[in-house]
Amino acid sequence: MKRLTLTAAVALALPAFAQAAEITIVREVDSNNYDPHRAVARAAAEVLFMLGDTLVSLNPDMQTIEPGVAKSWEVSEDGLTYTFNLREDVYFCDGKQMTAEDVAYSITRWVDPETKSPVAWRAGDVESVTAVDEFTVEYKLSEPFSELLYQLTQSFGTIIDSTNVEALGEDFGVSGLNGSGPFCWVEWTPRDKMIIERHEAYSWGAPFHTNTGPASMERITWQVVPEENTRTVAVLTGQSEITQYVPDIALAQLRDASTVEVVRSDLAFWTYFMGFKIDKATVSDPAVRQAINLAVDQTAMAEDLFFGEVEPAYSYVSQGALDWNTSLNDTLLTYNPEEANRILDEAGWERGSDGVRSKDGVRLEPIAYVFAGSTWGKISESVQAYLREIGVAMDIQAFDATVAWGRLATQEFDMFGMSFPYVSSGDALNLYFRSENMPTPNRMNWNDAETDELLQAGKTALDDATRAESYGAVLEIVHDAAVWLPLYHEPMVVAQSADLETVVPHNIYGAGLYKGLDLKFKE
Amino acid sequence: MSIAEPADLDAPAPSLPWWRRLVHDPAAFVALIVLTIVVLCAILAPLISPHDPYASSRAVMQPPVWSDRGAWLHPLGTDGQGRDILSRIFYGTRLTLLIGLVSVGLGGVLGSLLGLLAAFRPRLDPWVMRLVDVMLSFPAILLGLALVAVFGPGAIPVMIALAIATVPDCARIARSIAVSVMKQEYIEAGRAVGLSDLALFTRYLLRNCISSILIFISLRFGQIILIGAALSFLGLGAKPPQAELGMMAAQGRDFLLFAPHIAVIPSVMIFVIVLAANVLGDALRDVLDPRLRS
Repeated sequence: MKRLTLTAAVALALPAFAQAAEITIVREVDSNNYDPHRAVARAAAEVLFMLGDTLVSLNPDMQTIEPGVAKSWEVSEDGLTYTFNLREDVYFCDGKQMTAEDVAYSITRWVDPETKSPVAWRAGDVESVTAVDEFTVEYKLSEPFSELLYQLTQSFGTIIDSTNVEALGEDFGVSGLNGSGPFCWVEWTPRDKMIIERHEAYSWGAPFHTNTGPASMERITWQVVPEENTRTVAVLTGQSEITQYVPDIALAQLRDASTVEVVRSDLAFWTYFMGFKIDKATVSDPAVRQAINLAVDQTAMAEDLFFGEVEPAYSYVSQGALDWNTSLNDTLLTYNPEEANRILDEAGWERGSDGVRSKDGVRLEPIAYVFAGSTWGKISESVQAYLREIGVAMDIQAFDATVAWGRLATQEFDMFGMSFPYVSSGDALNLYFRSENMPTPNRMNWNDAETDELLQAGKTALDDATRAESYGAVLEIVHDAAVWLPLYHEPMVVAQSADLETVVPHNIYGAGLYKGLDLKFKE
Repeated sequence: MSIAEPADLDAPAPSLPWWRRLVHDPAAFVALIVLTIVVLCAILAPLISPHDPYASSRAVMQPPVWSDRGAWLHPLGTDGQGRDILSRIFYGTRLTLLIGLVSVGLGGVLGSLLGLLAAFRPRLDPWVMRLVDVMLSFPAILLGLALVAVFGPGAIPVMIALAIATVPDCARIARSIAVSVMKQEYIEAGRAVGLSDLALFTRYLLRNCISSILIFISLRFGQIILIGAALSFLGLGAKPPQAELGMMAAQGRDFLLFAPHIAVIPSVMIFVIVLAANVLGDALRDVLDPRLRS
């Protein structure tokens, strides 16, 4: 009897010593679904990386392609055929083995026009994806695609299970998803929380992870908390062990807190910018666009609005991105309001009695469409105040995210605010500057035959040098034309409990925790 | 048989004129002073603002003067964009009051006319009142959201929404007062001596209802200011860089843990305006409403 009480006491006391391997991750928004081919939000990607696997993976340096469920791959001379040799020990959450058929099915569904995937272009111009044998996949393109391996690392390339997709139909990615990732789907309550549990059989993590599987965490809850102050408090009080969604203003305080550790990636592959619709009378004059670029003090913005936690941007992609054209470093437009005023004076834009410049009956009052919310509210009001100094009266119109995307596909505005993740310069340029991508995402109406040719050359390049040269030339053209006003690059910053081993933040599609394999309580 | 002097027929006149009685109520007196100061600040905003309310500076999130690091350069500190909060309060109060006045004025006039008409022409009564019932079923905030979705954010859609929200309440009040006035004998008398409908409406009905309606409107003013600020807080009202008290409070929300004054100061201002307007409205009712005369 005495022994029994003792055992009971020990059993009760145990949880106090060994923490249950469960964590809560707070985040700002949820995704509308978790179908890898239909959901393009960062919120979808960060869960999909944990639920599923991709053919190849991206090293945290954002440059090196490493194995995923494919242990090796060969690319044909002409860059048209990729042959992937799959691992033979990969299993889905339901225990079914992953074979080449699943890979072929996943990619084929991704590019199938029936799927209506908004990101089908990221898979390249696919001719066919076929299973050669049980563990060999042949990925055939009709045109070379130098970015293909990078694109295949993204959550859109998640390998899914055909029986699961067909069984769930419209509910695929809503009521479940059978993936092969380090975690398995348990329950999703939209706009509230997503619960995932450890995939016990997982052992095929990419080599750059400290832990290649199974994951240390037994259960992860992705909790949506829209209010940023509430998220800060959740991290401070230990209600959430880790998040990348803490406001910049709180980071200094979090760094001082002994229970919290703040980890920052040196890379910043998420860029905020305002684009100009270059065929609008207000901003069609390159002088105006240049002056606007010179009028805004990105360094001050980064320090005052974002407390020095972001990197001021003068380039359209991070200067650390693959294929950035280093020869542009010295020609980037930096803060110089006198020069901005001089350029506008010289170009014949004269100030009226109210201080707003005009020329030939066109007043410099560009309409700017931005997303409603504190981030774009801050950014746009700051830009508005800078532009006031050079006689440009920017009219801000903020829309809720539910209507903003529709509004941004119209021709109603002169400027727009946007931010985007990318893996390389080519990724960003092909998305925004191809004429075929008008009116969206090429909302600038940038229609330039030379750009199109160079982008195609870069996309279909067979060697790194040609690709870098082509994309470098495009970067030069668009920077010279001042098609955008770059604002800042957002580095990946993760606030984590000091009880956790320090994580290495990843920049892929802004999903800082990537596969979640290295999330682990300290011993 | 002597004819009674007109003076004898009047109701006993109050010993003091209404405004004297108003200032004798200490709460009303304070509210009046506060509201006068607020209105003066709003009107004189361009003259008394120490800084340009729209100019940002690098001195962001400066605390107000009474805190340790405060300075007289920015007596109420600066906001997240480095703009002077005191100047923005002056300009913000201006817009907030304007939104309140225009929407209450517009809604009040329209609502009273509808209500009086319903009482004056009983045939119209069911139609007007059903229309009012329909309008009453839309909450002001929802109406504001719908209008902003159509016209885009701005002060004017908010004014329209708030005016529409004022109409039904005002119409009901006006009708209930007018119905009792219509039963009075002087209306019969007026009809009997052959007065035109217009004269009957303006000289007899309107004049006898107007003070009660004005009291209702003055009480409504505080509520409207509050709803207007709420709509601006949701980002539907004023457009940046304009300052509006509700919007300023919303912008300060992100700084609540670190620089609370950015959100608290405009919120206190809204509180003060609404409280003063309500106290004054109450006191006005006490002194003006003939039915409450003791």
